[in-house]
Amino acid sequence: MPETKKRSFFSNKICRFCNDDQSKVFIDFFDVKAMKPLISERGKIVPSRISGNCAKCQRILTRAIKKARNIALLPFAVEH
Amino acid sequence: MRSYQSVLILKPDIDEARVDEAVEKISEFIKSNGGACLKIEKWGKKRLAYRVKKNRFGIYLNIYHTLEAAQVADLENKYKLYDLVIKYMVVKLADDELERALDKENKVIDGEDEEGKDKDKNKDKDKDKDKGEEDS
Repeated sequence: MPETKKRSFFSNKICRFCNDDQSKVFIDFFDVKAMKPLISERGKIVPSRISGNCAKCQRILTRAIKKARNIALLPFAVEH
Repeated sequence: MRSYQSVLILKPDIDEARVDEAVEKISEFIKSNGGACLKIEKWGKKRLAYRVKKNRFGIYLNIYHTLEAAQVADLENKYKLYDLVIKYMVVKLADDELERALDKENKVIDGEDEEGKDKDKNKDKDKDKDKGEEDS
């Protein structure tokens, strides 16, 4: 039983930026709406092993998030 | 000649007339450095993710422009000296990125709803994942 549960946990690895026609992926650094679910409560970037993004898109996303942080669209760290 | 994108944050306590004034002045900066403004967007007043020079809000401007590579430092210096600007960022744009940015206007209106739907789906997925973790 635990095995099946584990499989279901890892199975839905769908990249949310890759499109079907294999065209180039763009993530704008000012597109806060798209990046918000990939930021943790503390302002950290969610790793791709959790979010399921492919490695290529994760790199593009990371660059976008870091740019957004520089211009105060996303936080470096959320204070508590 | 290279294409760039400048994002500027202006002081939050100025009225719209002064914002327009600032826009004019900034586009003049770019022209005087030998560039050309391609597109100017006003994103309006937004909450900043962290405090910048003790301001919690800021008026965002987004300008797509061209500029000679050697003039970038000069332009940044002008932004720095302009007292209404509290933060700025100049980003180099690749050709395909610029094309995408310039014909985005009509696409944004079409695509926005779909994006929202996708996000809801993703949220559901995340919830499922959380449940899975709790169970295991």
